[in-house]
Amino acid sequence: MRHWKVVAAGEGGQGVQAMAETLALAAYRAGLNALYIPNFGIEQRGGVSLALVQVSERAIGAPKFRTASLVVALSPRSLERTAGYLGPETVILYDSSLVDAPRISDRVVGLQSYDTIAPEAFAERISYHDQRMPVRAAGRGMVALPASDLARQRLHPRVFNMIILGAVVSLTGVVELGAVKGALEEKLNRRFRQDPQLKEHNFQALELGYARIKETMAV
Amino acid sequence: MEKAVRKERRVFMTGNEVVAWAALAAGAVHMFGYPITPQNEIMHYWRRLAPEYGRGFLQTEDELSAGFTAIGAIIAGKAAFSATAGPGTILFQEPLSMAEMMRLPLVLVVQQRGGPSTATVIYSQQEVTLACFGGNGEGMRLVYSTASHQELYDYTIKAFHHAWSYRFPTLVLGDGYQAKMREALIIYDPAERGWEAIPAEPILGPERIQGGGRPLLHLRNAFSVEEELAEVLREHLDDFARAAPELVEYEFTGEPGAEILVAAHGIVGRAARAAVEELRAEGRPVNFFRAITLRPFPEEALLEALRISGGAMLVVESAVGQFGRMARLAVAGEPLRSFKTLYRPGVGIAAEEIKEAVLA
Repeated sequence: MRHWKVVAAGEGGQGVQAMAETLALAAYRAGLNALYIPNFGIEQRGGVSLALVQVSERAIGAPKFRTASLVVALSPRSLERTAGYLGPETVILYDSSLVDAPRISDRVVGLQSYDTIAPEAFAERISYHDQRMPVRAAGRGMVALPASDLARQRLHPRVFNMIILGAVVSLTGVVELGAVKGALEEKLNRRFRQDPQLKEHNFQALELGYARIKETMAV
Repeated sequence: MEKAVRKERRVFMTGNEVVAWAALAAGAVHMFGYPITPQNEIMHYWRRLAPEYGRGFLQTEDELSAGFTAIGAIIAGKAAFSATAGPGTILFQEPLSMAEMMRLPLVLVVQQRGGPSTATVIYSQQEVTLACFGGNGEGMRLVYSTASHQELYDYTIKAFHHAWSYRFPTLVLGDGYQAKMREALIIYDPAERGWEAIPAEPILGPERIQGGGRPLLHLRNAFSVEEELAEVLREHLDDFARAAPELVEYEFTGEPGAEILVAAHGIVGRAARAAVEELRAEGRPVNFFRAITLRPFPEEALLEALRISGGAMLVVESAVGQFGRMARLAVAGEPLRSFKTLYRPGVGIAAEEIKEAVLA
């Protein structure tokens, strides 16, 4: 198994920390080495929330790293914030209901997509006016998932982060989905007992995210 | 007093939680504290857990008070401690100095944040000088720099024992990353690893009264004659020097003929170890040294490591030379082939950067 270095970023309240912590807990429960660290600067009181998770069969070194193997970006600002973690091998999972895929249009290079680093001047902010921003990243793999739309339409807006987590599990294969459900139950034990529907929604969200990625990857 | 940890078990928690559990497991009886990020949760966890195990907590009006109330409890024979960070560590210098002068086993956990002044609430290794030499004295303190949650647990327990055995104030020097990150560790009952109860006893009190059975103790932190002070300090300094060989701890891996020695402490030591392992896997012979005690400093071990490494050293830390100065001093007089530094004040260091610095 590879050493997974995951950076997850989203707006405060999107549940980035809960998602990252659950992933790390699931990996720990599965007997792997896991390290989770929130970025807990002043931004915890508003703005982009950033979480770093590493999972490996081997001992984990520093809590922070330079290049991520997976970046999870849940808002346009988050994508900007995580730009420094991108390397040629980095896979980017983004919420396509909030973030636009990149499109670079200029006379020299023509219409291009993800794989080219776009000089900023070339990048056309296609949907600037409706607050959507193009991805300007250099990652090799771009994986889109309209998680917020799915959560809103199919389940509950609150479980949006669990759709993303299901997708992360599907993409990385670090743990079984069952381990994540177990971790979630451990974390939210009391709340799940008070509100059985919350548990159902969370589990459905995990499965939905997981299945969506499996379908996408199969194509 | 009820045991907090009976059965050995693997847990996954934040470093602040680890410290609270370690202090409980060690048998600490009271915490005095004043909130400051990133150590707050040590207080929070301790305050929540302490009543369950018959321990006490008091939030004081500031760090000076936290230090002196802890000293009061310690003089009464209670294993008391506190935790702080950043500007709080500055305020703690006064009680720490008093503890040095009067040989009081004050235990303090420091979760370093960015400095100087308020700076960041996040992380740094900029409190090394403060931790080691912050007082108006000679730095007669034990300072443990931890690199993992397991070490936070192990050395917090050790800090209480060594503070009370050697009677020097003892610091566990963590940082904001260690405070806030979650990783696995084994928690255990210290008695099962050979740690009996903390050897705490009343330092002043009725049994010290003439005829009370124990020798009289003249506990002072004020002297009217220079020579009198010098005489007392000489004793303390001799005690410190005598204890040093028993106390120094470090980690070294390497072989003769290496191209360079990478030296670090604390969480940066982890990045350094990872970088060294990667370099070795790529066929580069690189040695690795991590100081665990910063006071007393493992001078001889570092010198020996440097000799094995052909006199070339790279010092890495999230500060500008606070650790580097101690390392440089430890090898003073030794011909150096090269002395390189990777100093990142208040910023985390990734293994990749250290690799680049070695190869540069």
